Amino acid sequence: MGLVMALVAVPAVFADPGSAPSLSASLQIVDGVERLGLRFNPQPAIEAYELQASPGLGLPFQPVLVGPADFQWTVSLGSEITGLYRVEARGLDADVLWGTTLLHRIAYGPTPDELDRVRQIGPEAYLQEQIGVEEVPETLDVVNASPRWQKVVVTGTGSSSKLYIYMDGAGDAYLDDLRLVTGVGDDGSKPNLLRNGDFEAPLAPDWTLSSNLVSSARSASIVHSGAASLHLVSTEAGESQSSSLFQTITPPLSASQTYTLSYWYWTADQSARLTIRLSGSGISSTHDLSGSQNNPAPLFGKLKSGQATLADLRAWHVLRAVQSPRQLHEVLRQFLENHFVTEFTKTRDYFDGRGYDSPLPERLAVRTEFVENQRWREALLKPGVTFHDLLKISAESPAMIVYLDTVTSRGDGKYVANENYARELCELFCFGVDNGYDQQDIVEISKVWTGWRLELLDAANEFNPLAARSTNYVNPAVTGSALNSNTNVVGVWGFKYRTDRHNNAAKHLFHEWDTSGARLGGKRVPDRFGPPWAGRDYSLTLPARSGNAGMQDGYDTLRHMADQPFTQEYISVKLCRLLVHDGFEHGYDFTDAETSPEEELIHRCMTVWETSAPKGQLRPILQTILRSDLFRGNGGSLQKVKTPLEFAVGTIRALRVPLADGSSSSETDGYGLANFMNRAGRMRLFDRVEPDGYPEDAAGWVSAGTLAERLRFVTSALMPAGMTGKDDAGANTRVNVLGVLQSRLGAEGVRDSGRVADLLLQMLFPAEGKANLEAYRKVAVGFLDTTDGGTASPLSSLTVGSTAHDQRIRGAAALLMSTQRFQEQ
Amino acid sequence: MNILSRRSFLSHATRMGLGAALASLTDVPLVLQRALAEGSIGRPGPNGRVRKLLFLFLRGANDGLNTVIPVGDPAYYSSRPHLAIPDDPLQPAARIGPAIFPESGNTAGIYAHPYTLSLGNGFAGLHPSLKFLSPVYNAGDLALIHRVGYPRQSRSHFDSQAYWETGAPSSSGAKDGLLYRAMLESGLANTSPLTGVTIGTSLPMILRGSKAAMMNIGDPTRYGLLSIPNTAAAKAKLSAALEPADRARFAEKRDRDLLELQYRNLSGTLDLFADLKFAEADNTFRDDVATDADTDWANANGGGYFLFPTTNDKNGGWKRASGNRADKYVVPTSSYDYFTRLKTASILLNNTDAIVSGVSIDGWDTHSNQVDDRNTAAGLGAHTGSHAGLLRRVGWTMYALQKYFTKYSSRCHWDDLVVVTLSEFGRTSIENSDGGTDHAEASVMMVAGGGVRGFQPDALGGVKRTGVWNCGGDGDHVVPWVTGPTGSMFRASGRYLQRNTDYRSVLGRIIRDHLGATQPQLDRIIPGYASPEDSLASKGVQSRDNTSVIGEPEVV
Repeated sequence: MGLVMALVAVPAVFADPGSAPSLSASLQIVDGVERLGLRFNPQPAIEAYELQASPGLGLPFQPVLVGPADFQWTVSLGSEITGLYRVEARGLDADVLWGTTLLHRIAYGPTPDELDRVRQIGPEAYLQEQIGVEEVPETLDVVNASPRWQKVVVTGTGSSSKLYIYMDGAGDAYLDDLRLVTGVGDDGSKPNLLRNGDFEAPLAPDWTLSSNLVSSARSASIVHSGAASLHLVSTEAGESQSSSLFQTITPPLSASQTYTLSYWYWTADQSARLTIRLSGSGISSTHDLSGSQNNPAPLFGKLKSGQATLADLRAWHVLRAVQSPRQLHEVLRQFLENHFVTEFTKTRDYFDGRGYDSPLPERLAVRTEFVENQRWREALLKPGVTFHDLLKISAESPAMIVYLDTVTSRGDGKYVANENYARELCELFCFGVDNGYDQQDIVEISKVWTGWRLELLDAANEFNPLAARSTNYVNPAVTGSALNSNTNVVGVWGFKYRTDRHNNAAKHLFHEWDTSGARLGGKRVPDRFGPPWAGRDYSLTLPARSGNAGMQDGYDTLRHMADQPFTQEYISVKLCRLLVHDGFEHGYDFTDAETSPEEELIHRCMTVWETSAPKGQLRPILQTILRSDLFRGNGGSLQKVKTPLEFAVGTIRALRVPLADGSSSSETDGYGLANFMNRAGRMRLFDRVEPDGYPEDAAGWVSAGTLAERLRFVTSALMPAGMTGKDDAGANTRVNVLGVLQSRLGAEGVRDSGRVADLLLQMLFPAEGKANLEAYRKVAVGFLDTTDGGTASPLSSLTVGSTAHDQRIRGAAALLMSTQRFQEQ
Repeated sequence: MNILSRRSFLSHATRMGLGAALASLTDVPLVLQRALAEGSIGRPGPNGRVRKLLFLFLRGANDGLNTVIPVGDPAYYSSRPHLAIPDDPLQPAARIGPAIFPESGNTAGIYAHPYTLSLGNGFAGLHPSLKFLSPVYNAGDLALIHRVGYPRQSRSHFDSQAYWETGAPSSSGAKDGLLYRAMLESGLANTSPLTGVTIGTSLPMILRGSKAAMMNIGDPTRYGLLSIPNTAAAKAKLSAALEPADRARFAEKRDRDLLELQYRNLSGTLDLFADLKFAEADNTFRDDVATDADTDWANANGGGYFLFPTTNDKNGGWKRASGNRADKYVVPTSSYDYFTRLKTASILLNNTDAIVSGVSIDGWDTHSNQVDDRNTAAGLGAHTGSHAGLLRRVGWTMYALQKYFTKYSSRCHWDDLVVVTLSEFGRTSIENSDGGTDHAEASVMMVAGGGVRGFQPDALGGVKRTGVWNCGGDGDHVVPWVTGPTGSMFRASGRYLQRNTDYRSVLGRIIRDHLGATQPQLDRIIPGYASPEDSLASKGVQSRDNTSVIGEPEVV
């Protein structure tokens, strides 16, 4: 028998031409019949595989089979085994692929709505929108000025039959239309298990007031529906029955049943938070009155007023990452935090030694981190922002001055300056390890920073390093040295230049020195950089300066280093590793014949850096990277792993849609994620000990131990309130899986295991390609149609809104988010 | 499989030498990392077992001078009128022979012996709270290395701990941990589920690095999957569903091999952890003899003391001793959390592939209350007090580990294990006015294990080889302890014990001769090991501060 097979695959529509799957063939005998086994390797981002056959050379191919299971087919053969076979793979639309990579890299992962929106407007428009960030409106830090009624919906178990209402401090709130119903979700049709939840009847006897809430009464002026609402007036923080407004629900609730609590509150700009909960660990809702649950605005207020803790700062940062429409802006701020590393604990210890008692050292340290972050934020809003701008902000930041010991470095008299900042400026912030500098340069540069210190300045002088210490006293009547002690001075800590600590001698950066210590000529850029950089003398001589002029040493050094080819290379590599994939190297030889797409991209970035005016503008470099073929295609898509921050925020975002009643299907208060990030590899925002920043690549985060934490986290995040294990993700991290699914599939669709699985796969793995997700689909549908005990139980047999249905869809979502593919971005 | 292109692999290799640090090679296929690794860290030896390391970090700076006590130096007593422990009149430190182990007797407390415990090298003695070190010492399994430090020693806890953990003193830019680099050199860091693992609140610097995520466990009973609902059945359903998902084939992407491998490790580790007996109910490890000749306790409790005391019931000792004596228990009742962690670390080393494990003990920063007030009147020195309590943990630890890894040995035997203590610096020879001591420089390192080259008696009951370094009389381990407050042993105002050994030399020896690194690997694991001016590998002068050091002590 002649066996002629040309196993050729011709791509139909590929995101990357040339990545066609090749077939391998084997002859199999099945039940006495000869069959041809065809096997191929999965290709990236494929929507459908189709087997085609042609009877002979030059004759047209016809489709034979669609959609293989597990990337292989067996084909029965006729009496003559001749024929040409090929597999055609229809790839994901190139724009869709590019768009999902954008959502994974310049955003903290897609939300379902963002997936739709980017598909609609196209990746080009999305890219432009995110780069031109100042055009995107964003008011997350603004407390909602005009009050309105806001709804809250939470689900949880019926841990007890006592419902408590209280606030965590003095304040007041208006509440109306409290409803508690069985099951998940409340469309208004189920009976309200609470009595007088609409407050249409007098409060007593249904509701009992404790002494801290005794002034609470019904209100006829601010009402959601009907004639009355509850005006809750709190004089003191509440905690449980004896300090709350409470009701004992009859008949009693069941601890094993899920319930849904919903209510409306009138938004207000107050710091006291409201809690409505059952006694025990069941349903619980705690939030501020700002108008949307988990709004960064009150935290922003605390940060501005210097009252915030480290946990507040982290929560604010995380909430913005989840919620901000300016996603690239958030990604870049985190990049800067992780590039110009500073360490909260060290700053706190510094203030601890300046005479402040707890909690002031923490507040002051948080403030330095916040101010630094805010300055970057504002800088990034300017279209022409350069790396130099960002570098300067870091150098002037009190957090950095403390972190790398510049604050105690002296160059006056016989003092030898501290080398830490100088070394990291070369090694970690600008040039990269051993790239264009040596120990002698570090010594010279260390002298530059002497005198860069801190001082307690008037608020108006916070950014004026030549201003004198504030003479505004808390208590001017204090005598002696206590008058001017730090705790008695009103001011803010800012960068101060101390002329008397500076090394005023001339300094020679990036020169060659001979073994006897004599200075030779300037260093020259190595040949490997090629034109226009190679051979350039990049030395810098700073003249002797005295007085305030000595501060100029620092600024001259920054301006000089910021745009050297070493910096261009190092930062371009860092950005490409952040945005494209981890395989970019330092030290390419741009002049030799061999090259790679990565090397070429770095070279293009450097060229853009060099030729923009002023040099080093960030946006053109970002455009270069984000438009590159490497980024757009399969070379960039799904080629990175999420860091713990990206994983946590991405998990919340992946199932986050606004629901009809105004709530969001996926929420966190931001605080709950810090524990997870610590356990998943000790990722502590704003508080890294080592100056090199948290790793970008997979090896730094992926091990059996850290994966266990990730899997626990997603399951915990998707758990309903009150379940054991909910603490892993935080009690206030809530995902309403039914809500998301229903918003897309409707009430009937959520009973269909196939449609539920398809929707989840689409939302969670938008860049994988439908055909490549067959195995996951099978697992998900199987999960949805099975009981916990393992017996068959179609999803359609469960009632929507029942605990069983809710748990099963949550479990399926958690399962898919526990897979290997969800670790990737 | 992610195959490194031949061209770029060779270009790396020629640039840095083929045996170059694996950390600097990106894209090396995971299965090849092991094959490319030199040395035998993590490889089974001739007895079929892997050699392992357990470190104890004594955080806060351990007072070495009250740990291994230079009894033969009168300046010890003149510097510490309240803290000094008196010499034993009946068994003085000047004697030659094995170390003294004072049995408690029927009514006295375990640590009631109020004198130093002569180590039999004619000069030094142990703090009485370290009495359980004596059996380990006499078996030849314990090396006590005094005067250990590093050049230009920092007296900042934070900085000095960081230097010990990164192995790079005075380099505050150090980016990763010394033992992390050792694990990377083994080639197993990204492939084996457990190489280095610490038990504590978070992963310490010594095992941190960006190319491999080592494991830290807070509570091992918490190490398992969650499910919705959180029942055994639902968990089983989830695991069963994850299994085919993990086996599904996908297109090649950069990190898919690593993810696949680590998911496999994860499910393997979950199974493993489910089988390992971390729960309190399984804490049945006990001494094989009636500990401290305490036959009463043994009879009442069916055996020797529990090796990992985690509750009062498992804390061996004289329950009959009258009053509320702190030393009626073998370890302080505040140490149960520590022994829980030590137990977890030991179980892991004994039952898994883990090569390195570690636990920290906090609280060593005894600026005050190093001595128990009641003792000062009696002139008994810091025989009880906060430091004594901490030393009891360490003493019992060494004794218990020797028993555990002998009697309960599974994949790790006492002969395969080295236990080492680390502490960021020592404390001032002169006591302060608060009944304590302040930050100083050199201190003591302990190295224990079946393969340690410690005490050996001679045929006449004397000493053929001592287990004490740098704290002996004349002729002991090269550098004699020069007595007297103005002698060379105390520098700068007579307050700081001068070092003569660099901690990196001790660790270097262990990493090379016990764990199995090659010398080139060691030179990478400990930066500067190969440079003569650092004088780590052999006796010489450390040029940073012109101090003579002995090089590597031959502890293993």
